Order: sequence, then C-alpha cells, then structure tokens
Amino acid sequence: MKRKPVTALPTISASAIGVAPIRYADHTLPNGLRAILVADRRVPSVAINVAYRVGGKDDPPGRSGFAHLFEHLMFKGTSRTAPETMDRLTEDVGGYNNAFTSEDITNYYEVVPSNHLERLLWAEADRLASLTVNEANFATERDVVIGEYDQRVLAEPYGMLDELVNREAYAVHPYRRGVIGSPAELNAASLDDVVAFHATYYRPDNAVLVVAGDLDPDETMAMIERWFGPIPTPSGAIPRVHAIEPPQTAERTYEYRAANVPLAAAEEAYHIPEAAHPDAAALDVLETLLGSGRSSRFYTSLVYDKQVATNAYAAADLREQPGLFGVRVTCARGVALADARAALEQELERVRTEPPDELEMERVRTQIASSVVRSRQTHSGVALELVRAITERGDPELVNGDLTRYLAVTGDDVMRVARTYLRPENRTAVEYLPALPQAQDEQ
Amino acid sequence: MNGGSSTIPVAGPPRDATLPAPVERVLDNGLRVVAFSLRNLPLVAAQLVVGCGGAAEREDEAGLAALVAALLTQGTTTHGAMEIAAATDALGARLVAASGYDASIVSASATTPAFPQVFALLEDVVRRPAFAPHEVDRVRTKSISDLALTYASPTALARNVAHRVAYGGAPYGHPLAGTAQTLAALTRERVAWFHERFYRPDDAALVIGGDLEIDEAFALAQRVLGSWRAPAASIGERPHGEIPPPRSRVVIVDKPDAGRTALLAGRVTIERRSPDYYPATVATAVLSGYSGRLNQEIRVKRGLSYGAGVSLAARRQRGTFFSTTLVDHTRAAEATAVTLATIRSLAESPASDDDLVTRKATVTGAFFRAIETIDGIAGALAEHVLYDVPLAEVGDYTHRVLDVDAQAVRAFAADGLVPDNFVVLVGDASKFADEVKRAHDDVRVIPHDRLDLGSPTLGG
Repeated sequence: MKRKPVTALPTISASAIGVAPIRYADHTLPNGLRAILVADRRVPSVAINVAYRVGGKDDPPGRSGFAHLFEHLMFKGTSRTAPETMDRLTEDVGGYNNAFTSEDITNYYEVVPSNHLERLLWAEADRLASLTVNEANFATERDVVIGEYDQRVLAEPYGMLDELVNREAYAVHPYRRGVIGSPAELNAASLDDVVAFHATYYRPDNAVLVVAGDLDPDETMAMIERWFGPIPTPSGAIPRVHAIEPPQTAERTYEYRAANVPLAAAEEAYHIPEAAHPDAAALDVLETLLGSGRSSRFYTSLVYDKQVATNAYAAADLREQPGLFGVRVTCARGVALADARAALEQELERVRTEPPDELEMERVRTQIASSVVRSRQTHSGVALELVRAITERGDPELVNGDLTRYLAVTGDDVMRVARTYLRPENRTAVEYLPALPQAQDEQ
Repeated sequence: MNGGSSTIPVAGPPRDATLPAPVERVLDNGLRVVAFSLRNLPLVAAQLVVGCGGAAEREDEAGLAALVAALLTQGTTTHGAMEIAAATDALGARLVAASGYDASIVSASATTPAFPQVFALLEDVVRRPAFAPHEVDRVRTKSISDLALTYASPTALARNVAHRVAYGGAPYGHPLAGTAQTLAALTRERVAWFHERFYRPDDAALVIGGDLEIDEAFALAQRVLGSWRAPAASIGERPHGEIPPPRSRVVIVDKPDAGRTALLAGRVTIERRSPDYYPATVATAVLSGYSGRLNQEIRVKRGLSYGAGVSLAARRQRGTFFSTTLVDHTRAAEATAVTLATIRSLAESPASDDDLVTRKATVTGAFFRAIETIDGIAGALAEHVLYDVPLAEVGDYTHRVLDVDAQAVRAFAADGLVPDNFVVLVGDASKFADEVKRAHDDVRVIPHDRLDLGSPTLGG
C-alpha cells in the first residue's frame, strides 16, 4: 500500500502573522461627544456606530430591562422623522441597521454605501437631540420586547441559563439583573420613565461615535461637527453604578429544572476583574486554551476522549466592571451531569496546577492573532473593536496593543490566573436539568 | 434643541463595488479550478466543492453524506484526528468539511503565511481519510446525541418536517443529519464506499483566492491536487427524484412542552439554473427583511412575533421557498392566516417598480456585504460553480437583480410562490389545532413522540 511518509505537523509562529495597526482620527467636540474615524477605502461602504454608556446595569430601580426597551424606542421616530426612518435610510439603499444593549452600553450601528454617510450622521444626531415617543408606539414596542423575552429566554432550550448565571453569581452588583429584564418590570415602565432616561443618559458627553470605512477623515469630522456640534450638553452629572460586589467566600449551586431540556447542562461562573485589569489578556488566553477549537482542552478531553459532553466551552466575559469567567458543558446523551462536571473539574485542576507548555501556548497565540486578522476584514468589525476598547477600557489605542499583550502572556501567567480566579469558593454553578415527570404533571 | 437643519442631506454619487475577476482552468485530472486575487488583507481561502451530497444517499442511509464529511477531519492514514485539530489550530486556520443536499464542501482558510500548510491538510483529509472504526463510532454517537437538540428546537424541527412535506420520498425529503435509526445502521464500509465513489476530481471544483497571485493559486492547486485521480467506476446518474406537485395542506407536530410555536409556510420552487432565479430572488426580497412585507405584517403591525424570515434555497433540482416565524401558541392560527395572506399579496397587490427599488437594494447590499470577506467571495464563486452557473454572472449579479421589473416579479410569484403553500406548525396543538382546522381542509396532527422523519409520510 502506498503511503505518504508521516510528516511533522505544520505550525506557524504567531509573530509571523502581520497585523497592521488601526490608524484613526480621535476628536472630542466641545459638547463632549467623542468621535473616532478610520479611513479604509477597500470597499465602498461605511460602518457607523454610536455607543451610549448606559446598559443593563444602569436600569432604574424596579425597571430591569429598561435600557434595552429604550433601545427599541430609539427607532420610533423624532419630531422630524417618522418611525422606522433608520430602515428607510439603510435597508432601502442596501445597508442595514440594528442595535444591541449589553450590561454596559447601548450601541446603535449602521452599514451603508459610503455616499450615504452624511444622511446617517444626520439621523443619529437627530435621534440623540429630539427623540419623540408616544403612548401608542411605547406600548407596541414594549410588547415586542416581551415577545423577544418569550422567544429568546422562554422558548429556546437553555434560554434561561444566561439570566440565571447573572442572577446567582452576583449578590449585590446590578449585573445580577441581566439585560433583558423581566416582563413584570417592563410592564411597570411608563412614558415618564422614557423621557427621564433619554434626558439622563442620551447626551453628547455620554456617547462615542465611531465611523470606519470609505471616508475622508477631514470631511467626515466636518459633517460630525455640523450635525452633532449644536446639540447642547445638560449640566447635571451622569449617574454611575458604584456598587462593589463583595468577594465570594463559598461556592453556590443553583438547580433549575425546565421543560424541553433535551440534555442536561451546567455553567460554572467565576468572578473576574474588569476588562481594563492587567489580568484580562491572560484570561482571554485562558478562554482560548480551554475552549476554542478542536485542539482546545475541553474539546479534546470532554468531547473527544471521554465523550461525556456534546459541547463544552469557556468565555471570559470581561466587562467595564468586574465580570465573569464562564465554563459551560452540555452532556452527551445518557451521561450524568455529575460525571460531565467532574471531567470539567479535572481540566480546571490541571490548568490551576501546571503551566501549559510553550508549544500549546504558541498555538493559542496563533489562534488569537488569526482571529484578530479575520475580524478586521469588515468595517463593522473594526468599528466595534474600537467601541469596546473605549467604553470598556477607556482608550481606543488599546486596540493596537492587544496583540502584543496576548503574545506576552506566558504559560505561568495562564496558570496564575486560573489559580487566582477559578477557585471553587469563587464559583457559582447553575445546573440546568429536565423537568421531573411528576413536576410536569402538576403544570 | 436640535442638531442643525431639519432637512436630511442628500446622498452623493455612489462608488461602484467591484469583485476581483475569477479565472478558470481545468487540471489534467479533470479538477476545475477557479482562482481570484485580492491582495488587500493577509488572508487566503479555498473551497473544494464535491458535486454530491445528501441527495445521493438512500432513504435508509439518511445522514451518510454528512457522516462522511464529519469524518474527513477525524483522521487520515498519516495523521490522527487530534493531530489534525492541533495542526489546524496551530496554523490559526479553519478547516471545515460539511455536506448539503447537492454537494459536500471542504473549506480551508488562513493567514497568508499559514495557508500553504492548511491547504496541504485539506488535500490529506480529502484524499486519505482513515475512517477508523473508533472514529466512526464516536462521530455517529455524537451525531445521534446532537439530534436530541434538533428535536427540542421547534424551529429546527419545523424545517426538517417541511422538507418531508415538500418532497416526501424525493431526494431532498429526508433529513441531512439522518435519524437515530439510520445513523445507527451506517457502517464504516458504507462510509468508505460513499467517499470512494463521490470524492473525485472529475466531479469536483476548487475555488481558491485571496492574498496571492492567480498564477500562484493555479500552481498551488496543481502541486497539491494535480496527482489526485478519479476511480475507474463511473459516478453514475445524478439523483433525480419525482418531486410531488405542490399541495395546500397543514401538518401540525404536537409538542406541548415547546415554549412557542414554530410556523413555517412554504413551497417547492425553482432550480438554481432557472432563468427565473433573479425574479424569484427579488420576489423573496419583497417579503423578507425587517421592512419586508412579512415582518411588517407579523411584527410591526401586529406584534405577533419578534421577527419573521423568508428564504429562497434554489438547488440543482427545484429548491424551497420558506417563511418562518415563532409565535405564542394561542396566536398560531392567526399568524398562519396572516402569513398565507402576505404571501398571496405578491400576486394580489403586487409591488410596483418604485417599491422594487428599495427591495432590490436589500439584495444587492447583502451581496456586497457577503463579498466583503475572502471567505465570502470564495463562497459566492463556489455556489456558481456548483450549479454550473456561468462565472460571469457573479460580476454581473447586481445588474441582473436591478433589471428585474414588477411584471417579472408578479408573473413569477403568481405561478411559483403563491399557489398551494403548505404549512408546518410545531407547538402546543391543544392551543391552536381546532382553530387551524376550521380554516383549512387538509390538516394532520402528529404527536411529537410519534413523528418519524425517516418516513416519507412522517410516521405518526
């Protein structure tokens, strides 16, 4: 039988991957609006992002889910524009628009052919300056958001898991409320809440505007000054969350049973520091080492070797304020959750007690460097990277230092952060199990 | 308080987006190679399109093509599964094999310095998969395990049921992922047979491009895949089953524990090579998207759901037109009526040429976004190659879409999308089945635990 000679496995050094720095103009208007512009004329489109520093953690008391509900209302028109104007300006010319609300920010974004850039800058300035909401579209949109809750949280298998993890892992910090909120508190919201919220958080000095793509920086900065410049900044201070989550001292376990859970699953969440913390890079590397790709430790051990899991992954959920490192496992058919979690714990114990060797570290660095190159293919990818650097870590220039920081992470650093943060007493486990037969009968 | 003038600025002249021109050659072994060069980012991608997929498998072997594709990266005669995984990750590359109804596609992409090495891995997994018995067992067991997740999701299940309703026992009817029964019966021998028979250079095409010159791409293809030889046995006839005529009917899968009801209305429609492809694409765009008619009726006007989607999957044989949404059980009958009426509106209150300007923009805009990445360009070319559509059409895509007029859309929709839609509902039937039965003559209810996707008639 003809056989190809066994060759050495291919590899490449992470430092061989060329990642060009992102060059940008950075200008803060007198009213406090910060504008970042990236000129990249490969493709004749532009990505516009307007991020407000207000998210789920800033929801008013008794109004969980409000920041996200408010995001929806920003599409309902102004004194000068009809509802769904953003769709007319984007979808109708071949672009798109959307928004997301995270724990920390509300980010509105559009991608359009570059000759439409100024129209979108006008429209973003317009809805910052003069949002108009009436009872009718407020009520409709609240139903849409509750529909989103039903669809994403109630209807999806495992849909409640993220909500439970936040709620159980945080005792004090408002991150415990998550972003989508609860239908009861959404129903309690009023039009007065909407007006107050817009006045409090939607102001130029609480916004970051990032535009990336086929643009001329000087012309674009002039457009931004023309449309955003006249918007006044209110004098009051912007309320900020100052809650400090006390250190967790004992493991917490929460068992949740639901209908339509085909395979038992669990997430373990460990408290970690904020995104700007020096350990953040090592935590990102730890995430990749444990859970990204088929050579990752979780896939190799839990899915491939032991076959106790149908999937298993890790996520360093780094936020503006101290976040969570989550590890999640979904059992293979017929496997008890305790067995899958024991296999998971073995992998965590291994990374706590021995540093990964240089070969594995270099593989992880190459994975990370390559994913940076891929995500920078699109204008929207570049714009979002800048938005996150500014809002979560306070400095756009960090995007040009991240790769260096990742490449500098050593195996000892990875072991140290695993040992520091992935401790059992710092852990909240949510076990997600099928409903018991008798419980189903009672429903 | 305002942001300046009350009038919106006008748009300037557009800049045209251009696609790098693909160049084509056929290697001596029959492998068709399509290369493109785009040197503005350090990435290269390749897609090897093998012209047979799930449509080529027998009913009682549903899932075979998918199992073969999944096993390619799980070990060759030279490298074990974990070695391939480690090498791919060490290159920061992607190496993925997957199977659809019409084709099996192995794709590789990486940064420029790493690409030649991942391309060599692609060659290894395509030509020398080991299909080791323990890997066959492991992947088959995992596939059966993953089916539990599909069956729990009303939306995923509705799609599988819809294929059966549309095609019955014809080649696109059975589930690509197989069923627990068919997967359990598949052997290593059948896996090896499928690979030997269908993975061959004379029924495959390679799309390769990105940060390299066209000549380099051809040289690389020749060096790495030039010695690949077709087996002596003929590939045989392409699978071609009789597709049942469209029929207006409702199939309900009763799943009382579902959180919401998945609603899918659809129809068998056109082949990818049909001259109606562009009118069909524009007709679909009239319904789809946030501002499309369906989402306007379902979400914006009635708040029936968070969203509704419409898709056209034109294939080698006639493919599908599906509209999908997820609604509260108690409103499933209302949403069904709204969906069917909205599809009918394509013929009854057709879009004007003016209406079409914006809907066509959604199509061309989505196309330009798809080709913003190297993988996206490779994917667009691969689709044209797979369906024998002239490559010149890729560069001409925008014009062909813009040339579609209201008359063409109405004429196509009246004949090819509107009549005889079927409906699939997966949810708590006790909350809507009676109401649905009052509105439709042909309604069938199948309990979730008696549904058999392995049967052309769905069991029950």
